[in-house]
Amino acid sequence: MIKMSDQRNKEQSSMPTSKVERSARFVKTGFQVGGNYIKHYSKKLFNPDLDKSQLNEDNATDIYASLSELKGSALKVAQMLSMDKNLLPTAYVDKFSQSQYNAPPLSGPLIVQTFKKYFGKSPEQIYDRFNLRSTNAASIGQVHQAELDGRKLAVKIQYPGVGDSISSDLKLVKPFAFRLLGMSEKELDVYMREVEERLLEETDYELEVRRSVEFSTACANLQNIVFPEYFPSLSSKRIITMSWIDGQHLKEFLATNPSQELRNQIGQALWDFYNFQQHELRAVHADPHPGNFMITPEGKLGIIDFGCIKEMPEDFYYPFFSLTSTNLLEDKEETIKAFRQLEMIHTKDSPQQIEFYYTMYKQMISLFAKPYMSDHFDFGETAFFDDLFNFGEQVSKMPEFKQARGVKHFIYVNRTNFGLYNILHELKAEVKTDTFKPHLVMA
Amino acid sequence: MATIESIQSAYIDYVLTQGEQPKSVYVFAKKNKITEEEFYRYFGSFEALEQNIWAETATKTIAEIKTQEIWPQYSSREKALSFFYSFFELLKGSRSFAVYSFNRQPKGLSHPRVLDTLKVIVENFADDVIKQGLESGELADRRFLAKRYKDGLWMQFGFVLNFWINDNSAGFEKTDEAIEKGVNVTFDLFQRSPIDNLLEYGKFLAKNGKFREKMWV
Repeated sequence: MIKMSDQRNKEQSSMPTSKVERSARFVKTGFQVGGNYIKHYSKKLFNPDLDKSQLNEDNATDIYASLSELKGSALKVAQMLSMDKNLLPTAYVDKFSQSQYNAPPLSGPLIVQTFKKYFGKSPEQIYDRFNLRSTNAASIGQVHQAELDGRKLAVKIQYPGVGDSISSDLKLVKPFAFRLLGMSEKELDVYMREVEERLLEETDYELEVRRSVEFSTACANLQNIVFPEYFPSLSSKRIITMSWIDGQHLKEFLATNPSQELRNQIGQALWDFYNFQQHELRAVHADPHPGNFMITPEGKLGIIDFGCIKEMPEDFYYPFFSLTSTNLLEDKEETIKAFRQLEMIHTKDSPQQIEFYYTMYKQMISLFAKPYMSDHFDFGETAFFDDLFNFGEQVSKMPEFKQARGVKHFIYVNRTNFGLYNILHELKAEVKTDTFKPHLVMA
Repeated sequence: MATIESIQSAYIDYVLTQGEQPKSVYVFAKKNKITEEEFYRYFGSFEALEQNIWAETATKTIAEIKTQEIWPQYSSREKALSFFYSFFELLKGSRSFAVYSFNRQPKGLSHPRVLDTLKVIVENFADDVIKQGLESGELADRRFLAKRYKDGLWMQFGFVLNFWINDNSAGFEKTDEAIEKGVNVTFDLFQRSPIDNLLEYGKFLAKNGKFREKMWV
């Protein structure tokens, strides 16, 4: 039996199709953002005290509006930007956060077509029940509820042509990224390629199923964490079938006013999940946005998306975690050596520059590593986050940081860790931080 | 004994291996060991034969989608989408012939003649689907215009067919995108829109002009 949505969504048909149209969309946004600046500075003529938050708000709205029409990789970039709260002023973040939910769904016949293409059967022939109306939108796909042999299933279906448009979308996003982050194209290139690589991996559902099975098996013994069961035989390049996890999203969960104990339990599960991966698997689920987690009625953390995995090579792992988890920072020479390995200090830097970056990065890392410095940490503590954001704000204003520094691995590792910190902060969780420690062979 | 199917598949095999139409029905019949009469019993010409192959694909598609359990629950927009997807899925099985037959036609403003019969079938189907949409209120019943909706769908069909002929993406995924977006746009135009409301409002103001003068002047 099949349930049907009785009405078609309109938003979808307004999605720009070709690259030309998409470019036009971005150009339009460019004009709007330009216009916002003009508006801001003309207002400022009359009111010198005007701060930038109205301008930021205007820009974020326009950029968001254009991004949400460009489903796919652009939306993904929006999601990514929204994770880096420390990099962007708050107004941007609020708007970008919207993109983590709601994207318009595919038509019923296209879903049937996708199944026919990959299985030669319609969904009604494969499952006992299949709900053609999607329950949830992910940025490159959507989730449907199904049932087979009495089991409730979640079926994820990818939008057609996503992989194709990623590279071209990223090229379109670049100028905005430069403007938002104030960096030059040449410097950003190596980072953009890293992002492109990860995004392309995310479109490979066969890879995702393999990794999901691998990771959920490896993490099976962690406490208070549940994974869906995956069904490789009912999955393909653009379809993933997994068991359904009942539960609430983070926002819904928090709205129920959970007890401190329960929040700690979820927070601890999250912490263990990430640190186990970082230090035991050396590869990490690098998409810690709230949409990828469910909180089950039993108070467990459900992890429902392994699309984005960041592997950490040794030449990154050792210097980075030696900095955060040993007393290496007290040894200036060794610290600078590690900074050089991580390309945070360049070979052509002058002695003054070395001194400057050494001081700043040392401060940054000791701030970042604070939760690791004792055996437990209270993420509800606002002071820590204020410090982080203020420091981020301060750094973003320094001309020295207008140029990109650090190896490309930082993008996803930072995204992961700041994402983790953010969620823990929203949970106001107190967690034991010494459960899974880094393995460092360095003396 | 020759059948429609055997003659059609012999013809497809001939044009695809030779790259051109047989010189005459005589040559074709002789090569396949049938009489000319047998050929003419079913088809008046090679063109009629090609027309029939195209038309059959559409007939088969319509029969197939109507057997789907979900069919009665589809809106008219979804029925049209379903037809498009299934038609091109089915056509994939004889893509070489489709490309050959389509590309041999002179390029012009009107549709290629091999699609004559297909056009009738698609338009009848579109007519049914559109009627259903008009009855349920899904589509806006505009005087004069509503009768032309099926032409809109046929144009969309022609566009997607052209797109598919030139599509070289893996699994013809781009064609799927073209269908999803194109058919949706077409149906958006058929639906009640702000323009309708604007026209209604204009009519109202024109009819109630006196009232307006009193109010404002």
